[in-house]
Amino acid sequence: MVRKLGDNSKSVVVIGAGIAGIQAALDLGDMGIKVYLVEKEPCIGGRMAQLDKTFPTLDCSICILAPKLSECYRHPNITLYTLAEVQKIEGSAGNFTVEVLKHPRYVKEGVCTNCGDCGSICPVRGVPNFFDADLVTQSAAQIAFPAAVPPVYRINPDVCLYLNYGICGLCYQNCGADAIDFTQKEEVIPVENVGAIIVATGVDLAENIHTLNVYGYQKYDNVVTAMEFERLICASGPQQGHLKTLTDGRTPKKIAFLQCIDSRNDRTQDYCSSVCCMYTTKEAMVAYEHDNELESYVFYIDLRAGGKGFQKFLLRGAEEYNIKYIKSKISHIEVDENQSPIITYENLESAEIKQMRFDLVVLATCIIPSLSNEKIAKILGIDLDKNRFIKTDPFFPIESSVPGIYTCGCAREPMDIPRSVAEASGAAARAAELVKGG
Amino acid sequence: MSFEPKILGFLCNWCSYAGADLAGVSRVQYPPNIRVIRVMCSGRVDPAFIFKGFEVGADGVIVMGCHIGDCHYLEGNYEAEKKFAMVQKFLKLIGMDNRIRLEWVSASEGARYGAVVTEFTEHIKSLGPAPTGSDNPDQTMLTKLKAIKVAASGERMRELVGRQRKITEEENVYGEKTDMETFLKIFNSAIVEEFERAQILISLGEDRKSVKALAVELQIDPSIVLGHMTILKARGQVDFGEIVGITPMFQRI
Amino acid sequence: MAKKEKKEEEEPRIGVFICHCGSNIGGFIDCKEVAERAKKLPHVVFTQDNLYTCSETGLAAIKKGIREHNLNRVVVASCTPRTHEPLFRACIEEEGLNPYLFNFVNIRDQDTWVHQKVPDKAFIKANDVVRMGVAKAEKLEPLDKIIVDVTPTALVIGGGVAGMTAALNLSNQGFETHLVEKDNRLGGRLNGLYKLFPKDQESSELLDALKKKVENNPRLKVYTSATVKNIEGFVGNYEIEVEQGKNIIPLKIGCIIVAVGTSLFTPEGYYGYDGEKRITQSQLEVKLKSGTLNENEIVMIQCVGARIEERKYCSNVCCMTALKNALIIKEKNPNTHITILFRDLYTPGSYYEEYYRKAREKGIVFIYYNPEKAPKVEKDTIKVFNEYIGEEISIPYDLLVLSVPLVANAENKALAQMLKVPLEENGFFLEAHVKLRPMDFATDGVYLSGSAKWPVDITESITQGYAAASRASTILSHNTLEVEGATSSLPEYNKALCTGCEVCITVCPYKAISKNEDDEIVITQVLCKGCGVCGATCSNHAIVIRHFTDEQIMAEIDAFGGK
Ligand SMILES: Cc1cc2nc3c(=O)[nH]c(=O)nc-3n(C[C@H](O)[C@H](O)[C@H](O)COP(=O)(O)OP(=O)(O)OC[C@H]3O[C@@H](n4cnc5c(N)ncnc54)[C@H](O)[C@@H]3O)c2cc1C
Ligand SMILES: Cc1cc2nc3c(=O)[nH]c(=O)nc-3n(C[C@H](O)[C@H](O)[C@H](O)COP(=O)(O)OP(=O)(O)OC[C@H]3O[C@@H](n4cnc5c(N)ncnc54)[C@H](O)[C@@H]3O)c2cc1C
Ligand code: SF4
Ligand code: SF4
Ligand code: SF4
Ligand code: SF4
Ligand code: SF4
Ligand code: FES
Repeated sequence: MVRKLGDNSKSVVVIGAGIAGIQAALDLGDMGIKVYLVEKEPCIGGRMAQLDKTFPTLDCSICILAPKLSECYRHPNITLYTLAEVQKIEGSAGNFTVEVLKHPRYVKEGVCTNCGDCGSICPVRGVPNFFDADLVTQSAAQIAFPAAVPPVYRINPDVCLYLNYGICGLCYQNCGADAIDFTQKEEVIPVENVGAIIVATGVDLAENIHTLNVYGYQKYDNVVTAMEFERLICASGPQQGHLKTLTDGRTPKKIAFLQCIDSRNDRTQDYCSSVCCMYTTKEAMVAYEHDNELESYVFYIDLRAGGKGFQKFLLRGAEEYNIKYIKSKISHIEVDENQSPIITYENLESAEIKQMRFDLVVLATCIIPSLSNEKIAKILGIDLDKNRFIKTDPFFPIESSVPGIYTCGCAREPMDIPRSVAEASGAAARAAELVKGG
Repeated sequence: MSFEPKILGFLCNWCSYAGADLAGVSRVQYPPNIRVIRVMCSGRVDPAFIFKGFEVGADGVIVMGCHIGDCHYLEGNYEAEKKFAMVQKFLKLIGMDNRIRLEWVSASEGARYGAVVTEFTEHIKSLGPAPTGSDNPDQTMLTKLKAIKVAASGERMRELVGRQRKITEEENVYGEKTDMETFLKIFNSAIVEEFERAQILISLGEDRKSVKALAVELQIDPSIVLGHMTILKARGQVDFGEIVGITPMFQRI
Repeated sequence: MAKKEKKEEEEPRIGVFICHCGSNIGGFIDCKEVAERAKKLPHVVFTQDNLYTCSETGLAAIKKGIREHNLNRVVVASCTPRTHEPLFRACIEEEGLNPYLFNFVNIRDQDTWVHQKVPDKAFIKANDVVRMGVAKAEKLEPLDKIIVDVTPTALVIGGGVAGMTAALNLSNQGFETHLVEKDNRLGGRLNGLYKLFPKDQESSELLDALKKKVENNPRLKVYTSATVKNIEGFVGNYEIEVEQGKNIIPLKIGCIIVAVGTSLFTPEGYYGYDGEKRITQSQLEVKLKSGTLNENEIVMIQCVGARIEERKYCSNVCCMTALKNALIIKEKNPNTHITILFRDLYTPGSYYEEYYRKAREKGIVFIYYNPEKAPKVEKDTIKVFNEYIGEEISIPYDLLVLSVPLVANAENKALAQMLKVPLEENGFFLEAHVKLRPMDFATDGVYLSGSAKWPVDITESITQGYAAASRASTILSHNTLEVEGATSSLPEYNKALCTGCEVCITVCPYKAISKNEDDEIVITQVLCKGCGVCGATCSNHAIVIRHFTDEQIMAEIDAFGGK
């Protein structure tokens, strides 16, 4: 549909361009409201862009997301700032002034043709790509993934030889489009007349703050996190979707999925991450689709599947995808001489202590709030709850503690994509009330 | 020189075309035989497009869309599947059904796109040139192909395909659902009948002919030809031309 | 404009621009030669190769070509239409050409990048696809955007917490809003509840505050004891009849929100349910509200009538309801014994898990039961097989509370038919896309919220109420609705072909096709998304899919064959 800018004089700033931020921006843009979408990473899409398939319909994540990404990029009412953050706000509901700090990309948007010549000539190698859960490395001239939006490369200033030592500049010479611009500087962009702000900073994961050594993570190579596993089974991931163990490249025939890693645990995060029971089943299903001999074991405390079609999804997993669900408590993990993990657990239904050997162990690690929440909360003056999610009231679920500042998606509580999208639209509706002066 | 097949591909915009682009961005290398026509959805691929492709010299035709459940237009690929199944049945009548393929390729499956195209190209190579293709096509085969196109483009086949999902998946007003088996029985006989009728029409395009002559020419039982004539006459596609002796000669309208 | 229109009707004059994309294309194939060969194609009057066609220089070259050679069709062969088509379309539009008179040919992503080792073959392929692209370009037609008016008024069906939230938001955004509630009061399920998780607030408090806002809103009109009788029209332009008592109220509406909530399940035949000693959680809430609870050996059973063969789903709110009520009872009388028999305790997220912990701390006993060995209810005791200790145990009770699921309203079917939207297998409304369009129906202009879609708690009912309002506002905020011109049509000259078989109506996923009073096929352009399925299916080839017409695609196929 074709959308015109309405005659609203006020705009909305959305912080974080995961699926929640994107949906909020699109709804507002479609209402004819000017939106500034601020994303700290070089590309938009958040976690959803990293996922292979998504529950409960098992559709390909990037297939359904990509049209939204480009819609957002091209939307006449949405101004997208990537590599950017909000550094200051003033004013109050209905009339904020926001200062956006935009870091240089060193590549000109609109000129770069996304050809990758800079990346292939760059001598710096081994820069881990966050998008592939650090399983793959890149050069200093990089793009997170081929279909990234904006479809523009970036020179990573942390590792680029030219930017650090003034030598090299090979990419500059090799770029036929003349897109590389080492003179770009940090920019401070003031955005005035902002009616409302939406915080959609989303998730980080337990492995970002803990070593998870007790579960053998980072100790044994055949213990991976769910996010790493997403990339491993993804057709566009490091193994082109042909799952292999990271130690000796075997095709795993038996995988253990351990639930509630650092969630529902008094010593770490005491809440439930809400999505792991479901995504684990999904991951086991996708892996099974690649290899019909695969056996999966899910070690869980409670199976939480309350969303639409979720119970059926679990049943299908058990009946058609060779997934066995074991109500249990994990005691410990060790490995045998082949680096195959052995799990000792207590079966909570039979009260027996048992051991089982696996080829691969996948940890459903706790969803934690964005590590930047503290900083952003301070800048905006909003409260966080005891888990550092943005604080809201259950019956005013979209409102932060400051009027005119709203929140949605995983920034305020762990939740799945459908709910993040719904909340994002909800936040847009609240912001629209303010912008339209109701 | 070795045989270089001509391959025509129909790709839906949202998944398969994106997957093909991703293959490019990832520099996946595959044989250069395919020529792509972009459509918004695999459900846009009219069966006639595929027959036409063979008519103009394709050795193989491949249709690609989003995985089932991922169609950007919700259900377009279900419809594509039904149409493709019909095309396949028709081509089987002339032994060419192994020259077409329906594949689901997602936007993230760049490598797979390359693999699918490679595999299909190799497959067509191993089959050799299509009898309808090359510089010197087999005219009888071409005529049969034309008959198939006419048959598949007729109202009866198109209506059957168009209604298939409704008939087999939903209940009618009396709460009945036609089971797949019954439907397929009707469908399969319709394919044979319409193919024969189209052959009759094409043959009559050349000349007025009697039932008997047609029966001999097309190697179909005369009583069946007569049955077809009654229907074709009712559809207003043929009529009596003249009576020679006691034999009515039919002509095309 | 008049001059341009004329230009487009003239003989096609096609300009072809071949992009080098630096060395990405030009490094593998001879772009000059591709351009040279294109010159010989029918109707091509100008060709050029450019280093970067998408650069300012390249775009200027296209404009210059249009001006100097009076081009009325433009073909660019370069990277991929998926990223660059909008740019080139805008470019020719700036030069006065209709944007649909542009065609894109992919010679980078699907040619030079994927046949790097056989550049001579990539060259042949480039020529072939350019020929195909030119053939299609010759048949391109100018298209206009389709514009319809929008009535900036909303209708919300169902006055529970979701419906009220949606209606309030829309009226606060400035839209006249009508709220139709079949009951004689607003509030839905909230009316029967005592206190609410996770806040320990009385239900009436939340409800009264909401109702007050609704009643005081000047732009919001409420109809209680009313139902929607009839719905005609399409997005932006609905004609609605609301029936209230003997009155029929006609309304003109732009968008509709469905918020009809759920019904309660009566567990007849489950665990000796009798409504007295063996009751449901709802009945327990009534008892709590009226202060008539005296029992002190209480057992609750979860998933009664839920997560079973006939009703596979988990109803989302009953575990929390049980925890809430158990905690309320414990608070009032710490000596009450409460046992909860459960399968999986559903307390997701950061707020609810805390409830579970608190309940355990307060001494509420949780016993897991396996559905294959369901609890047996006797007169005063309940026998349940305790998997953990491996034997059956007996629990005495004087009150048994059954946690039953929320179920879909029986009348949903009639409403769904009126709205032309689907239901899922349990009778809840089915959204357009589970993940990315959770509040939309496939049909534009109708939206969904709250427990009408799936059992949800109040928090989610509220967010979904807002969310549906947002979706509706994307339409209502504009006086008119514009859609791209590449849609399906049944042109005048094809009308005679149509036999009225209705196959097209059956296959259109967006319900864009219907029959009018004269039994003629009508395609509602604003609803059409241009997928082309109807065109490929139409039994009589009557439907034309603009910008992807049979004629255009056949021309491409012909060109593929070298003709
Ligand atoms: C392993 C795994 C598998 C999953 N599988 C599924 C599934 O199959 N189906 C499903 O429905 N859900 C799934 N989920 C959940 C899903 O990922 C989330 O629901 C969804 O990503 C939430 O979207 P969001 O926009 O709230 O957050 P995010 O996706 O995290 O996006 C937040 C965005 O904000 C940016 N940002 C953060 N801080 C700042 C700042 N200060 N300034 C500017 N930008 C900032 C981030 O860079 C990011 O782009 C899965 C989650 C995990 C971890
Ligand atoms: C026993 C029990 C305890 C609960 N406790 C809590 C709690 O403590 N905390 C919590 O968060 N949630 C709780 N819930 C869940 C909560 O009740 C629901 O989340 C909430 O009521 C859903 O609101 P709704 O607007 O979607 O639907 P409803 O409340 O069902 O409202 C729907 C409205 O639509 C009307 N309607 C239906 N059909 C039509 C029609 N065709 N035309 C016009 N109007 C129509 C109905 O009359 C009704 O007024 C509880 C539920 C139960 C059963
Ligand atoms: S910066 Fe230059 S070399 Fe790098 S991708 Fe962009 S256009 Fe290609
Ligand atoms: S200048 Fe920096 S980015 Fe460019 S090639 Fe050198 S190290 Fe790489
Ligand atoms: S919420 Fe709890 S009681 Fe209700 S169906 Fe789900 S698991 Fe069973
Ligand atoms: S399918 Fe074609 S012939 Fe049948 S009703 Fe639709 S437009 Fe008319
Ligand atoms: S093109 Fe698609 S959306 Fe449009 S009317 Fe036809 S089937 Fe419906
Ligand atoms: S859009 Fe890809 S198959 Fe329909």
